[in-house]
Amino acid sequence: MRASSRLRYVVTAVILLVAIVVARYLWNDNMYSPWTRDGRVKADVINIAADVSGIVTSVAVRDNQLVHKGDLLFTIDKSRYANTLAQTEAELASQQADKTMRSREAARRAGLDSSIVTSENRETAASLSSMAGARYLAVLAARDTARLNLERTEVRAPVDGYVTNLRVYVGDYASAGSAKLAVIDSNSFYVFGYFEETKLPYLAVNDPVEVRMLDGQATLTGHIESISRGITDRDAATGRELLADVNPTFNWVRLAQRVPVRVRLDKLPEGRMLVAGTTCTVVVKAASSAGG
Amino acid sequence: MPREFDFLGALVPGLLPVFLLSAVVHIGLDWACGHYGVYRYVWHRSLFRICMLICVFGLLNALLIK
Repeated sequence: MRASSRLRYVVTAVILLVAIVVARYLWNDNMYSPWTRDGRVKADVINIAADVSGIVTSVAVRDNQLVHKGDLLFTIDKSRYANTLAQTEAELASQQADKTMRSREAARRAGLDSSIVTSENRETAASLSSMAGARYLAVLAARDTARLNLERTEVRAPVDGYVTNLRVYVGDYASAGSAKLAVIDSNSFYVFGYFEETKLPYLAVNDPVEVRMLDGQATLTGHIESISRGITDRDAATGRELLADVNPTFNWVRLAQRVPVRVRLDKLPEGRMLVAGTTCTVVVKAASSAGG
Repeated sequence: MPREFDFLGALVPGLLPVFLLSAVVHIGLDWACGHYGVYRYVWHRSLFRICMLICVFGLLNALLIK
């Protein structure tokens, strides 16, 4: 009876110890291994704005279309800019003639004897000649600007990418500088993993990373490219008179804040589609220092 | 096993199905221990059972998620 009772204690104690070890392992695995469910696919989004104002006369792309660098996106009414160019061309021709006339005049007077033209007259002719030359250069610059404006009526894609949220139609008025559509750079996809601040010691730049999308397709691989060096301090706003306004309520239970960690994706599998803004799980494979 | 999965549109941590599975396994083990008299060699039956559940959960977690 006594041996049996000792056995009963021993069995229970052994399984209790094992359970404690297992629970500790589970806790550490969840709390200290560097992974997060809070990852986002990101890409560079380029806001395309017209460089000159005018009525949109044609839209060459459809929504979500793949465009290549230099492809035409939309065009703005050319007539006004063509007219400006013609006007400056005419001014240039006029200025050219003026410049030729003044310079010949000056050359002729420079060659004449001082008994025929006064030196004042000669100097005036030389000055008028250089003024005409300078005016010619100014008009030349204006002509080039007009030509540039005419070229900029054709809005072209600055990168290879996908047209997104196309909200520009024929007949719209495009103001210079206000974005009309967005192009997602197709070569710029990366992942932001939002890691809890408690997990930062367990990851480092260049650690290999696995990225699992929610769509259940094959896992992507990548490397940590960089770790953000700052997030907003939510408790310290600037109050009146530029003084710090520190939030006096402090929670007993509080959550670890999250720090963005930028992940560079390795080569994507052929035909794999990524959508900027979608969620993914980021798992750092080689912890840079052991957790626990 | 993914770290999280899509359950009718809700995203659930991968640990949840593992826990449910370990609960099922635990019910089986509990029945077996009762049937084959393992509990006669146990001092505190409830403590033994919760420890067993934790062990099963940890084992399944190590096997399925790692």
